[in-house]
Amino acid sequence: MTKHDEGRRAFLVALGAGAAATTALVPEAFAKDQKQHHAATDAPPANRGMPPAMQHMGGGHGAFFNDDDARTVTAFAERLMPGEPGKPGATDADVLNYIDLALAGAYADQQDFYRRGLTQLDAHCSQAYGKPFRRLTAEQQDETIAALEQGKAPAFVWPSAVAFFNTVRTHTMEGMFADPIYGGNKDFAGWRLVGFPGAQPIFTEDDMKSPKAFAREPIVGLQSRAKSKEG
Amino acid sequence: MATEKTDVVIVGVGAAGGIIAAELAKAGMKVIGLERGPRLKTSDFEPHDELRYFERQDLRPNIKTDPVTWRPNTGAHAGPMPVLNNGNQAGGGTVHYGTLSWRMHEDDFRVRTKTVERYGASAIPDDSSLVDWPVSYAELEPFYDKAEYELGVSGKAGNLQGKTIDGGNVFEAPRSREYPMPPLLVDQSAILYEAGAKKLGLHPFPSPRAIASVPYNNRPSCTYCGFCQAFGCHVGAKSSILVTKLPEADASGNFKLVTGAMVYRVNSDNAGNVTGVSYYGPGRSDNTIEADIVIVAPFIYDNTRLMLLSKTDKFPNGLANSSGHLGKHIMAHMMANVFVTFDDRYVNNFMGPSAQKHTIDDFNADNFDHAGLGFIRGAQLSIGTPNLEGGPIAASTIALPPGIPRWGAKYRDFFAKAYARHGAMVAQTENLPYPDQTIDLDPNVRDAWGLPAPRVTYDWRRPNEKARVAFVQNKLMEIGKAMGAPQVWAAPVSPAGAPGAHHEGGTRMGSDPKDSVVNKYSQTWDHPNLFLVGSSTFPTMGTGFNPTLTIQALAYMTADAIVNKYRKNPGPLI
Repeated sequence: MTKHDEGRRAFLVALGAGAAATTALVPEAFAKDQKQHHAATDAPPANRGMPPAMQHMGGGHGAFFNDDDARTVTAFAERLMPGEPGKPGATDADVLNYIDLALAGAYADQQDFYRRGLTQLDAHCSQAYGKPFRRLTAEQQDETIAALEQGKAPAFVWPSAVAFFNTVRTHTMEGMFADPIYGGNKDFAGWRLVGFPGAQPIFTEDDMKSPKAFAREPIVGLQSRAKSKEG
Repeated sequence: MATEKTDVVIVGVGAAGGIIAAELAKAGMKVIGLERGPRLKTSDFEPHDELRYFERQDLRPNIKTDPVTWRPNTGAHAGPMPVLNNGNQAGGGTVHYGTLSWRMHEDDFRVRTKTVERYGASAIPDDSSLVDWPVSYAELEPFYDKAEYELGVSGKAGNLQGKTIDGGNVFEAPRSREYPMPPLLVDQSAILYEAGAKKLGLHPFPSPRAIASVPYNNRPSCTYCGFCQAFGCHVGAKSSILVTKLPEADASGNFKLVTGAMVYRVNSDNAGNVTGVSYYGPGRSDNTIEADIVIVAPFIYDNTRLMLLSKTDKFPNGLANSSGHLGKHIMAHMMANVFVTFDDRYVNNFMGPSAQKHTIDDFNADNFDHAGLGFIRGAQLSIGTPNLEGGPIAASTIALPPGIPRWGAKYRDFFAKAYARHGAMVAQTENLPYPDQTIDLDPNVRDAWGLPAPRVTYDWRRPNEKARVAFVQNKLMEIGKAMGAPQVWAAPVSPAGAPGAHHEGGTRMGSDPKDSVVNKYSQTWDHPNLFLVGSSTFPTMGTGFNPTLTIQALAYMTADAIVNKYRKNPGPLI
């Protein structure tokens, strides 16, 4: 599964490089250099002047979502797990990239669920605020998410508002806390937030006996180990 | 169509089938084991990956290709169950299980008699099919002992030949000798639980687990990595069938394992004997094995399903179903959760064996007086991890304390603080058998082979069950408070009535062919050379304890009966 996603991603990136005029795909190295926390804007400053199709969201996408949907999912996930200095959130962890790759791979059977859910979300927001979700203020986005969670969004038929909320929440948590090999939890942002040391192959008797935080580095991932906190 | 001949064919090589395969092959019988999934290796299980194995359930049946449907009652629509807890590989569920290895108490085997004696017949709900088992603890004890020693269980005796021993489970039935290995190290959550429970006068102890606490039978000891339930063990310290019995079977020279084999029919003749099985193999090949003995040992859904799929003109209601009890009396443990968090200390429950780490038996079975409580039977009360696994994806699914939303800055801050400072307690409650809780064939849903999916009709919300769950969840609240946790809260209990863990029943064992499917040797009453083994044979859940060791003890007993009795004199063992 992991190799599959990695392979698919490499394939798609290569494809994007060869067809740049018609896709929004960018090399991963480029994406990593961009500023984040611009969920509610349509065009990050760094991208202005580029043809629309070449602009990107900062977070990775292109395996499944179009640009508008990527902005919507980025904004939605960031409201679910907002970032603050010292408290990495969904954008910091690149949750969008996780969901994008999952929908192109392991969760391909949920593509229609997302397409219809996002369409209904914007229909709801247009009725309530005259704008799509991605252009709402953070407060309006929070109101909208609360309405979905409580099933108070009549624009939703299938998926239901509650089902859509639950799925995006589940996938946001997966993107925060799954191993970085799947495209989220960037630089172990989610694991650092909660203090999970990753796939440690062993804990010692002293570790087990301690009522203190487990702070030994490195955090262990499937293909990577975190540098020390200073690094 | 390929046809092969053998002495014994075993469908499903897991907790029960793997033991029988090894025991019969070692005794000189030619055995073919058929397994739906792959045969994995210890090296396949490193490194650990919570998304793959916990969240996406990579060691379980794929719910899209192997659906099991559920409905709360016959009037409701049945939809696919979102989670299947059985295994899908050689070794079965023992590859990914939490390793809890319990013996039942003596009186659990005569539960109807003892309940009537103590509380009167009116204490048993009118619609329950609660019965005594056809086997006694004394008969099963040597096989419990064999399972603990051959497979490798770590624990502390609480009753050695009738002598009570502090620090073990003082409620347990007398055992002939100590566990083969000492208990695993306790983690912080166990230390807190132990102190809280003792403050209340209860009797906490380290749960017995099929994990090597010291090097055992050429296997290394546990590394306390925390990835047990849902994961394969990356060092082979978990005493799964994959690393214990399958190598024994291989070494006998009499065992052949076929993976990727989906058995779709047990074949029978007009004399009433079974003649073998047919299965779809890799590449959808259609194959038949002719065998003198057929042993059906998958998870309970497929025991019932395969008997129904194997109907003939002579057996129009399915094989082994002359009693009409096939597919009935389905049971499952209902889980009630209570969570605690601490402010001033860490719990780090991502360390150490993940499931039900430390336990009290005080409110299990009939270990306490139920007079006036409005219910019978009880629960195993343990502390461990959310969803039996300690990673952050599992923790993101827990029910939250009052005032904490499921998302946003307040949730983030709660989770960031609570993740490494929380404990998760679970009451695993013993639901009673009821004949109208069933498995049959779903008329609308088929699996990837075109076979009708098993359909479970089940609703745990019976008055006896609801009263018990409320009682034991309240006990967990009391323990949480006694632990000194500043925050203690209870999770809502499965409101829709869906079955919990450890499904049992469907081919219940009994003393009378008129009201049971198999005898105490798991031999079908109707076809003496057909055995249905595993927890599908449990006539009651027995206790709130996990069923695996009892499944394994019964499998050893079946193997012993086949080798020492049936082989000399094929026919009904009773």
